[in-house]
Formats: sequence, structure tokens, C-alpha cells
Amino acid sequence: MSQITLPWIEKSPETLSGYRRKAILLLFVLAVGHLGIALVSLFAFKPGQLADWKIPFVLALVLGASLAGMAFTAGAFGVVFYRIIGKFLRWSYVAFALFLGGVVGACLIVWLHAEIFTFIKGLSAAEGEHRVWLLAVPYDHTVRNIYAGLEAIGVEVPVLAYALWPLQFEFIRDLVALGGIIGFISIIPAFGIWWERKVSARIQSRMGPMRVGGWHGWLQSPADGLKLIFKEDIIPPEGDPLLFRLAVYITFVPPICAFLALPFAAAWVFRDLDVALIFILAMLGIEVVGVILAGWASNNKWAVYGSMREACQMVSYEIPMGMSLLIPIMMAGSLKLTDIAGAQAGGFWNWFVFANPWCFIAFFTYYCAALASCKRAPFDLPESESELVAGFLTEYSGFRWSLFFFGEYAAMFIVAGLAVILFLGGWSSPIPEAWINSFLTAVGASPDGFFGTLARGLLAGGPIIFVLKATFLFYVQLWVRWTLPRVRIDQVLYACVQVMLPLVMVLLLANTLWILGTDHLQWGWLNVIDGILHWILVGIGVIVALAILCIALYGFKNNKRLVGQLAVVDQLPGS
Amino acid sequence: MDDLAFYIFAAVSLLSAIGIVASSNIVRSAVCLLGTLGGVACLYFVLDANLLAVIQLIVYAGGTLVLMVFGIMLTSKSPWVGFRATRGQVAGAVLVAILMAVGISTLVLTAEWSQSANAPLKTSPSVAEVGEMLLTDYLVPFEVASVLLLVVMIGAAYLARTEK
Amino acid sequence: MKTDAVDIVLESQPDINVELNGSQIQHDLPTEEMLVNMGPQHPATHGVLRIVLRTDGEMVLEAVPHIGYLHRCAEKIGETVAPYQYIPYTDRMDYLAGMNNNLGFALAVEKLTGLEQEISKRATYIRIIFAELNRIASHLVAFGTYGLDIGAITPFLYAFREREYILDLFESACGARLTYSYITIGGVTDDLPDKFVEICSEFLDYFEPKVKEYNNLLSHNHIFVKRTADIGVITGEEALDYGLTGPVLRGSGVRWDLRKVRPHCSYDEFEFDVPVGQGLKGTVGDCWDRYIVRIQEMEQSVKIIRQALEKLRGTEGQDVLHKKGKTIKLPDDDIYFEIENPRGQLGFYVQGNGAAIPARVKARGPSFCNLCVTDKVCRDVLLADVAAIIGSLDVVMGEVDR
Repeated sequence: MSQITLPWIEKSPETLSGYRRKAILLLFVLAVGHLGIALVSLFAFKPGQLADWKIPFVLALVLGASLAGMAFTAGAFGVVFYRIIGKFLRWSYVAFALFLGGVVGACLIVWLHAEIFTFIKGLSAAEGEHRVWLLAVPYDHTVRNIYAGLEAIGVEVPVLAYALWPLQFEFIRDLVALGGIIGFISIIPAFGIWWERKVSARIQSRMGPMRVGGWHGWLQSPADGLKLIFKEDIIPPEGDPLLFRLAVYITFVPPICAFLALPFAAAWVFRDLDVALIFILAMLGIEVVGVILAGWASNNKWAVYGSMREACQMVSYEIPMGMSLLIPIMMAGSLKLTDIAGAQAGGFWNWFVFANPWCFIAFFTYYCAALASCKRAPFDLPESESELVAGFLTEYSGFRWSLFFFGEYAAMFIVAGLAVILFLGGWSSPIPEAWINSFLTAVGASPDGFFGTLARGLLAGGPIIFVLKATFLFYVQLWVRWTLPRVRIDQVLYACVQVMLPLVMVLLLANTLWILGTDHLQWGWLNVIDGILHWILVGIGVIVALAILCIALYGFKNNKRLVGQLAVVDQLPGS
Repeated sequence: MDDLAFYIFAAVSLLSAIGIVASSNIVRSAVCLLGTLGGVACLYFVLDANLLAVIQLIVYAGGTLVLMVFGIMLTSKSPWVGFRATRGQVAGAVLVAILMAVGISTLVLTAEWSQSANAPLKTSPSVAEVGEMLLTDYLVPFEVASVLLLVVMIGAAYLARTEK
Repeated sequence: MKTDAVDIVLESQPDINVELNGSQIQHDLPTEEMLVNMGPQHPATHGVLRIVLRTDGEMVLEAVPHIGYLHRCAEKIGETVAPYQYIPYTDRMDYLAGMNNNLGFALAVEKLTGLEQEISKRATYIRIIFAELNRIASHLVAFGTYGLDIGAITPFLYAFREREYILDLFESACGARLTYSYITIGGVTDDLPDKFVEICSEFLDYFEPKVKEYNNLLSHNHIFVKRTADIGVITGEEALDYGLTGPVLRGSGVRWDLRKVRPHCSYDEFEFDVPVGQGLKGTVGDCWDRYIVRIQEMEQSVKIIRQALEKLRGTEGQDVLHKKGKTIKLPDDDIYFEIENPRGQLGFYVQGNGAAIPARVKARGPSFCNLCVTDKVCRDVLLADVAAIIGSLDVVMGEVDR
């Protein structure tokens, strides 16, 4: 290894430390400069001195300068203390700490800006008409107004008034929420790819990424992303370069758009559309166009085969998917995802998957159809590596290739999230809220105070529970991929049209008649049977959940015995 | 804000439509069609007609467009298939275009856009209301459309069957 | 290029190949056939094999294999080196079954020169142990990569995990993991290391229940069965006509194993069965039969190795390498001798002319002959089935091209 020539290793230690010193000097100078600019502009502009429309620019200046200053200081300190930082990053619990910190931080940020929005809405409007910018957008609160409101609650920081001024516009709030969504979406593929590699490795009795980042290679995904960015951008010369580039975006953007309508909790949704479900289905349908174009623009027979198969498969399976989703919609009576999840609150026996046998089976047909729609194994012919090299992805390399997978993992999460909302109770935890409230009052904390809301958010229903459930279904998708072989295209279409479609139609019909009988016509005997079946299904669900838990625990406790000696005995140096 | 959104999406739809007509590569025309359909769907969103917008996306962008691109892919040999119109075709097209332009402009300029008897709805109907209307007031057209689609499917399957 | 989804949907039944095999299909629309190149760099062709497919949409009309990408003039080299120097070249022919190749050439030369009566029993039993261990290793690779072709990626790693143990055993005996040159003219190059018998028995105890695991994971998996049963059917007569040998022949129902029919190297002292394809999941001679024959052969090999380890006990102290092995002169005679390779019948033709260096060496690679049936079997199948069929033939290009 040391015989491979790497350019920087050939430099002597003196030159390297010389570079280091120069870097530290440069970074400190830049840091001091930027922080100075930020400080000066902070105290130079007082409220009332500036026309309101100039505020965002001043804010941008202050924010930008301070952020850059902080970044440069951090960089300087990093270069100075790099050894300690390296040792810290390799500490096992760093990954956990960062993850937990990130989750807590995200929740705090969301809570904080919800509080800020209510505060701004609560301020009384300033007098007179104020308009800003080209289209004369009217606005209600001037900076002085906001500063007055801040003084009223005792916070007398002028720059905060500047910062809060843009937040009165709905558009800016949407942008902030969008930023949050895009942040979350970016984490999903990064985490998902790492997790897939670990899960596949463990199923295959090996370890998976172990080196990059220290604890089980948790930095592997960002490292791969960075590497892929630096790769050469190869575009097949005989293909269509414009469509080649466009295909990636058409595949990658719709799943992100679908997140706009996906609620994470009752109030945690970007737009509570009344047609949210169909919107998400529409977005997943537009992905097909991107995949076809990707194969076509590559001018590669194998890629065209892959995209043709994929189009057949995805479009065919949208039908059983949509029709399976109709069944819980009928139970809830609304297309709004928040309503559907709200109808399942209060304990896991209210979840739609246990409501009647048709919903139960519909859950599984939906899940299988969704697997096919996401092109996941056992339906991953479009990406089948051993037959078509890589199907429609053959000619893609570098970052474009990874963008396809971003879209795929985002779509996997959306599909899992939809299954959770429609069948598995959404963001309600298995424990009903009433029990948590009574537990809280028994312990002495008020259910509406700070700790009460926190506990309820964590235990009774909230975004974390939703993400956990969706992650479990996501995990099942990973699990199935590495267990089952691939199904051939004619068998895939046979299964769709001749097995799943009639089954789903029968379920739909049966569910309609069932609801008619139990809710509208109120047949007593049907209601009795409904109740019995409901509790049988709940029992089955509990048994399955317990079985999974027990098997997982058994495997965890006996993992050394089951796997046997790992074939490769010596560890690589540095691991 | 609504005005700005309207201008943007109308511009997207128009430019894509021009792209469909101006491009000589069939597949690029199909992609511009996607742009047009998407732009129109966004216009429906601006008009607060959510149901119509998502149906436009599912049926047109996700279904019809996929079919068209599929058909093009199956019958072309390379990504650069194009077509050239003969001079007679161009002349005929220009004539038809002039006639249509005159007709549509007359219509647009002389129509009574404001204060018509049937004022547009103040709020768009909810999904439940649309569903009820489809199954009570407009049941016959709904069923006729379904039967029509069924006939189309059967006809397509019949035409595409293989004979031994 | 025509493949309508509607077309496939209307026409396809689960046994699509049985219906469409051999029948002419006419379409209303004018179709265009495509010439598609599969390989030489392709994950599903095992090695550098190029198959030119004439397809009509997804349906393959003709499959012509093009070989020669791995030709290394092995047979010409045989005319320039002495037999004991040629042994490493035989390793590289079927690189997944190096011990068996060595064994074949060594037995051919020993028979030619009359050395075979003088090989010690210990050497014979050691040869059998290693040949059978290599059979297990080779079938593990075949099983693993076949799962990979079908899309099940996990069994591949399980197979290679087991194979690591076997390769460790080989490494302890001869120092190499793939190209052993261990079995040579006159016996084996070196005696077994100290604890070999114990570790080998331990491995066999560990490995035997694994076969059941593979059966659960892959062999009886519904999707796998659907992908391999009734695909690529080769009847017994066709197999004999085309000169197929090995698990391919036995999968078609013909009970022919050179270890039983013409036992070499004391195989007649051992008790084992010869598994034959019986069409349990489909027709006799389909891909699944060939696959299950290999799995069952692994079980039989375990039996043989256990018996050989037992028999080794009575042979302590015997010389494992004949002194004349390095310096024999070949008589003015020729011989063609075949043994049972994991892939089929591997034959060596050695012609001597009185000198130490042979006048001609020819190797009959079983994969070369098994590959000939590709065109016949790949008619009117879907593209995905071509990968399944080639995987079930288990070709190794080193042997095809030599």
C-alpha cells in the first residue's frame, strides 16, 4: 500500500506543516474579517433607519458574513486540532450522538419556528398600506412594529426584528418549510443506502461498510457521494444529450414533490391537500416517463430493454396499488391523509389493517404492488444486474447515477409512509393517547405542559413514531430484496393482471358491501361477525409482531453461533 | 402572488407547446408535451382545482404520455428520428393556422369575460361533492365514458393480438 | 422491434416456453429482429463468452456462442514441456476445479507410462479427498453464481463462505487457493499437514447441514422454481446426441458417471450414489434438474471424503510421491483418458514418442462440448432465460478455450 504513489505523500513533513501554518493563518484572517463585517453591520443599522424593503439584503449581509466567519473559524480550529478531531470522529458513539442530536435539533427547530409564526401572526398590524418590490406585494408588519412587539415580551434585540420581518410572508414560510423537507429528503437516501449495505451484508454473513467514519462506516454514503461528484461526466455520444440529462431530473423530482403532501404528524405537513393521496400517486406515475427517457436517450439496446420492461411493470402495477389504497379510503371517507390517519387514533386496534379481512389483505397487495412500482426486488428487472448489466442505468455514471437512487430511495420511503398512514395508524403510537394522558396526570406532570407535550409527542403520536414505522416498512423492503430472486417480466405481468387485479377487485367489492352492511344498513349479525374478525385480526397482528421481536432477539443473542466463524479471520489494519 | 404564478406556468405551457411544434425530433416533442401538461396542471392548482390538477397529472402525464412515448420507442430505430414536412403540407398547415388564429382572436376579443350569467364558483367543490355529482347528476355521461373506455381497451387488445 | 405488453399479457401462460417452443409466430405489424450481443463482458456469461442473440423483442430466435477470448495455447505448450512441468497448465484450464484437472492429466500420463500400479494407496486416497473437495468447491461456485444470475444475491455469499473453508484446507496442503498443481505425476507433491484429517472432518460436519439450508433458501423457492423449471429442457437422447457429460447429462435423466462406469483412481472402493434428474419440479432435463443434481452431488462428495479419511488411517508412512514422477520418459504410444470433472468428462490425449516431452497433448474440455447445445436450447425463450440456461450448463471459459 505504501508503494502506491499518492501525490501528497511524496511531500516532506516540513512542507506539509508549512502548508498547515499558512492555512491556519489564512483562515483566521478571513474569519476575523467576516466576523468584523457582521458586527459592524449589526450595530450600524437601527430599526427605522432603513426602508423596509432593504432589510432582507442587510440581513443577508449580516447572516452571510457571520456564517462565513463562523465557518472559517471552525475551519481554522479544525486544522489546528485535526488529530483530536479525528480521534473523536472514530469514537463509537459519535454516530449515535450526531444522530440523536440531529433529531432533537430538528424537532427543536420546528417547534421554535412554529412558536415564531404564531407570535408574528399575533402582532397587531401596522397602520397604513405597505407594499414591497416589483409586484407591490402588500404586507402588514413593519420592522418597527415587530420591534415593538418584541419589546413588549422583553426581547430588545434589533437584529431579531430584522430577522423576523421576512417571516410574515407566506411565501417565505413555505420556503423555510421546503428547506426542511429537502433536508429530510437528502438524509433518507444517504441513510438508506448505508443501511441497505449493512442489512445486505448481515444477511450475507459479512459486515458491510466498516471503515469510513469509524463506527460501522456511517460516513460511507457522504464519502461515496463526494467521490461520485468528482467523476467524469460521460454522456453517450450517439444518444440524445438533452434527454439524457433531463431524464434524471424527471425521475428524481417527482418523489420530492410527493413529500409536499405527505404528513408526518397532524400539523407537520407542507400542504394538507384534500387530494393528497392521488397527488402522491400522480407523482409516482410521472417517474415512469423519466425512466423510459433514460433508457431511450442512452442509445443502448440493453438500456432500452430495461426501460421498456420498467414502463410495462410500473404502469401495470399502479392499478392494483391505487385500488388497494381505495379500501382504507372507503373506511375513512376522505382522501385527506391527515383525516385518514386521524381516524385511526387511539391504540393499535383501531388501525385500518385490522379493521376487516379485506383491509388486511389489501395491505399486503398494496405493499407488493408498491414494491413493483418502486422497482425493488423481487421486481427489479429494470436494474437487473446480471442480465442487462444495469438496465436503463447502464450508461449513467457519476452523480447522475446516484440521483436515480436518490429518487428511488425517496420513493421507497414515500410508499412506506403511505402504507403507514393508510393502514398502520399513521403517527399514532400503539398506545392510545388517553392512557398516556392518565399516566402523565398520575405521575404529576400536566399533559399540556412542556414535558407533557414532549411525552405525548414521543409516546402517543408524533412525527418520530411515524418515521419509525415508515422506517420499519422501508427495512422490510430492504430485507425482501436480499432474500428473494428476481421474477421474469412475463411472470411479473402475469402476476399483476391475472392474479393481483382480480384479487383487488374482489377486495374492493367485498369491502363496499361490508361497509354497506355494517355502517349503513346496520345489520346486526354482520356487525357481530365484523367484531369477531376484527379481534381475530388484532390477535394475528400481535402474534406476528411478537414473533418478529422474538426471532430478532434470538438472532441477536446467538449471532456468533448462527453465523459461525467468519470466513475472513484477520482484520484489515486500521479497522 | 397568484398573478406571478399564473404568468410563470402559462409561460411554461406556452413554451413547451411551441417546443412540441417546433422540434423535429419526435421524442423531444413528447417531452415538451410533458411540460405542457405539467404547466396546465399547475394552472389548475393555481385556480384551486386540486382534483382536476391531480387527475390531469395521473391520466395525461402518467398515462397517456407514457403510452405515446412507448409507441414512439417501439416503432423508431434510433434516438434521432425526425420527420420533414413537404411544402404542400407546410402550406396547408399555415393556412389552417391563420384561419384558427383569426377565429380564436375574434372569439377572445368579442366574448363577455366579466359578469356573465354563470359566474365562476367562489370555492371549488370538494372531492366528496364532485363524487356525488358524478354519481347522481352526471351519472349517465360518467357511465357512457366508462363504457367508451372499455370498448377502446377491448379494441386495442383485439388489434394487437397475435395470430398463429 | 416489437414487444407489446398486451402481447405478452395475452399470450403468456406460466409455461410460456412449452407453448411457444418450436411454433412459428406471425405478427400483424412488421417486426424487426435485433442482433444483440451478450458479452464478452457481461455479468451473466460465466467468463469471457460472447453470445450473439437474434431476438424478436424479448424472444430469442437464435443464440450463437463465440469463444476463443481466453485461448492461451495450452495444447501447443504441451509439446514443449515435460509432463510434470505441464501440470500447472492444466490447473488453469478449468480454474474452478484445478485438482480434478491435475488428476486427469496425471492419471493419463501414469497410465501411458505404466506408473499407475506403483502409486501408493495413500497418494490415491489423498488424490480422491482433494478431487472431491474441489468438486464441492466447484459446485458451490456453480450454485452461488446461478443464484446470482437468477437474481438471488445472498446464496452466492453463503456458498463462498463455505468455499473459503475448503480453500483454507487447500492452502494448508499445498499453499495455493486456486491453481494448486498439487496432484502430479506419481502422486501428490507433499504429504498432508498435521491436523488435516481432524480439520477436514470438522468442515464436513459443518458443511453437511448447510446443504439443507441452501435447499430451503433457493432450491424450493417458488420464484426460483418458476425461473428454472421447464426452461431449457434437454431430453436424454438429445444430451447423448450432443455429447453432453457431467451434471448436464445426469440432469437429463441419464445415469452415467465415469466414477462408477469406468472407475479410476480406486473410486470402485467407495460407496456413493449418482444423483439423476427426475423432473421433480417440471420436466426431466430442465434447468432445475441440472441444478439439483449439483446440489445432491455435493452431498455424495461429502460421503466419499469421509470414507477416504477413514481409509487414510491404514496408510500411514507410505510414500506419496513416486520417485520416477519427474524423470519419466514417455513411450512411443498414445493414450486418451477421461475422468469425471465437476463439469463433465475431462479427457486428456497424450502422445509420446520416446522422449521426455510429449509429441501432442490435447484436452477435451467438458464445458466446450456442453456449450454446443446452447443454440438448440435457447430457441424461443425469453432473454432472461438465456442467462438461466447458460448458468445451468455451468461453463468455465478456461476449459472451453484452453
